[in-house]
Amino acid sequence: MWDGPTGELTYSGLRVVELGHGTQGEIVGKLLADEGAEVIKVEPPGGVPGRRVGPFANDDPTNPDGSLHFWSYNTGKQSVVVDPDDHATRDALIASADVLITTDGPAELAHSGLDLEEIGERHPGLVLLSISPFGLTGPWRDWRTSDLVGLAAGGPLMSCGYDDHEIPPIRPGGNQGFQIAASFGHSGLLLALLERQATGLGQLVDVSMHEAIAVSGELANPYWFYPRVLLQRQTCRHAQPSPTQPALFECADGVSVYFALILSDARTWTTLVEWLDTLGLALDLGEEKYLALSCRQENFGYIQNIMESFFLMQDSTTVYEEAQRRGLPLGPVFAPEELFENVHLQERDFFVEVELPTGGDALFPASPYRFSYGNGRPGTPPRLGEHSASVLAEVGGGARG
Amino acid sequence: MSARTDKPASRGAETGIEETVSSAVGAEPLPDDDRRPVPRVGPLAGIRVADFCWMGVGSVATRLLGDFGAEVIKIENRRRIDRPRLLPIYKGEARNYGEELADADPNRGGLHNNYSRNKLGITVDMKTKRGSELVDRLIAASSVVTENFAPGVMERWGLTYERLEELSPGVIYGRMSGFGHSGPHAHFKSYGPIVQAVSGLSFISGLPGREPSGWGLSYMDNQAAYYNSAALLMAILRRNKTGLGAEIDVSAVEVGISMLGPDLLDVSVNKAVTRRADFPYGNRLPGSGAAPHGVYPAAGEDRWVAIAVLGQDDWERFVRVLGEPEWAMAEEFRTQAARQANQDALDVHVSAWTRDKTPHEVMEVLQAAGVAAGAAQNAQDLNEVDPQLAERGTFFEMDHPVIGQARFEGTPIKFSRSVQQNWRSAPLLGEDNDHVYRHILGLSEDEVADLADEGVI
Repeated sequence: MWDGPTGELTYSGLRVVELGHGTQGEIVGKLLADEGAEVIKVEPPGGVPGRRVGPFANDDPTNPDGSLHFWSYNTGKQSVVVDPDDHATRDALIASADVLITTDGPAELAHSGLDLEEIGERHPGLVLLSISPFGLTGPWRDWRTSDLVGLAAGGPLMSCGYDDHEIPPIRPGGNQGFQIAASFGHSGLLLALLERQATGLGQLVDVSMHEAIAVSGELANPYWFYPRVLLQRQTCRHAQPSPTQPALFECADGVSVYFALILSDARTWTTLVEWLDTLGLALDLGEEKYLALSCRQENFGYIQNIMESFFLMQDSTTVYEEAQRRGLPLGPVFAPEELFENVHLQERDFFVEVELPTGGDALFPASPYRFSYGNGRPGTPPRLGEHSASVLAEVGGGARG
Repeated sequence: MSARTDKPASRGAETGIEETVSSAVGAEPLPDDDRRPVPRVGPLAGIRVADFCWMGVGSVATRLLGDFGAEVIKIENRRRIDRPRLLPIYKGEARNYGEELADADPNRGGLHNNYSRNKLGITVDMKTKRGSELVDRLIAASSVVTENFAPGVMERWGLTYERLEELSPGVIYGRMSGFGHSGPHAHFKSYGPIVQAVSGLSFISGLPGREPSGWGLSYMDNQAAYYNSAALLMAILRRNKTGLGAEIDVSAVEVGISMLGPDLLDVSVNKAVTRRADFPYGNRLPGSGAAPHGVYPAAGEDRWVAIAVLGQDDWERFVRVLGEPEWAMAEEFRTQAARQANQDALDVHVSAWTRDKTPHEVMEVLQAAGVAAGAAQNAQDLNEVDPQLAERGTFFEMDHPVIGQARFEGTPIKFSRSVQQNWRSAPLLGEDNDHVYRHILGLSEDEVADLADEGVI
């Protein structure tokens, strides 16, 4: 039984079988594979649903190996096609694993012939990681989810959108509901692996995506626990009990910067006025009366107008560097394409080349944590059934295309 | 196996606590008047953390460790109070979180209570020689050290990884920052919204043709914290096997970029440009066949319900729930491609159906038919309406000497074996000075009193 890394990387030597098709489980499998685990992704003939989600490489939706959604969450795994009715092969794969990942609720699991408790009894050292939409127990246990539905039911959606509440709350991008569930899946698995190091025993780790999202709304729950107030969403800034000033400012190059002026901080105020003065825009703000917080509060609209003009006169790059040089927390709202040109990320070698399953290579984000003893990197996402023959030969099952 | 267990540095475990481990497990409350540290249980029992973390990311990152058995000792400075202690999230008083009281009581803040339950709390002034010596001794008695100051602060105190390794061989040094500990922007200032802006997470969120709606919360405070918790556990897992320590560098911006997903790969693989008129996509999922897919008005003020009709089967079930209305049979909604092409018209029909129903009514009737739908729940719904969270015990309660009885966000995981030990609400400022300096570091009662008198602790 695996009791820690067998090589340089944290998960080297760890064998994982990924049965779930939910994105939240795929992300955990990816995090494990990227740091050295052998992750066997079990797919039905035709592939998991994620292979049919766009965007696609070369905008070609007909290639099951070309989904960028699939690539995002399946780097470095081995793809094995197993017929859903072939329980013998599935059982043999499970028997070879240290960790089993599933993503369905209890009714779907039963429909697939998977009884997690029974599997746990059969393999007492196995860690069974279930990351299901709502958890394996409770009245909603068999309800369905999606990233949007998860973020809605779990709370964060109500904090996200525009000042104009005629516009519905807007889902933040990038499948973050699934990402939140995956983060707790990863930590829960780690706690179980630590427990197993000490006792030799595996266990069932039952992660609820709904609960994970419900405890990740930052201030919304504490504001209900304590003053019992609900937060009101605002455009690209914190939802609050009552409205605050806008925090996005457009610059001369069309890129916006985020800057939330904390009026109550006297040092920030002095720094800002000095900075405005460099372009002759301090106007009367240097006057002594503005040293009183109440005066700044009364004139916040006026101050905002001056800042709008000030930022519009300069490029976002200049604004970013200059604000940070003066110790003001400010950042441009970067589009993804701008990240690849970022000097800081380049110097940290954050983007790494990955060979693509469709040929050629492209830059992917590297490991999100850096260990002094060694860091993994994303491997090529597998073509459908690419590893069927080798893996199934090993466990004695029947290979399929 | 060589799992490292941190023992008291002096004369044994003079904690004055009886070995009643089982009574301290799980939700079993302790008597309100007894806030003394208890022997810890859980997968991290025996690990002591010298925790310099503060603000959101750091405090949430070490919370998981404290919940599952680690002895997390939060190290604080009386001259620079941790912000979550001061943010005005108080019972019976609604203030925006930027509107701190000038003379805020550091023991009254609700956010700190939520972030630092199950931790010990000590104070020390690192600018004094004796304070810095005390911290060296505490590090020597710990096997994990965590911090999320601006890069350079720990170095100014001489607390490099090399020095920590001398003090505590095999130490794990968790370093959490906005931009990481190398590179030209390592010293840039950030907090949640800045990380979200700079990592691209804000840009990819919003309606096309408008400014981004981004995030109404410090999402990255939570996610960077979760990744930091995981990284610490990974290093502990490895040390248990190899006996070797580690320095860990986590950049919140890089965590954020690593979670952008397909939009990022569309740029790197297809050379797509996302700064364009039809991006981002609001609540829609172009290219997926999903329609209707959105957030629809419901009965009540600012109430909404999310509906995700993903495939043709979903559509047929959805239409049956609506009573197979005539409009749904029209040619413009017959196939997935047609529905995606005619989403504006489709959304008008769906909104007309949802508008007079509560969000929970819509959720229940659609989920009962096998269609994914979710009430856009607010915090009141989560705490007082949601039967799933209630049954799973997501939130739990503990008493606090200043705040009183309070709710906490629990861990959204049920383990069949591992236990979360909720032994105490968050520490008062310096609450555990006596316990830590006397019983862990072996100082006498008089020495601790002197340190307090001289303002060292």
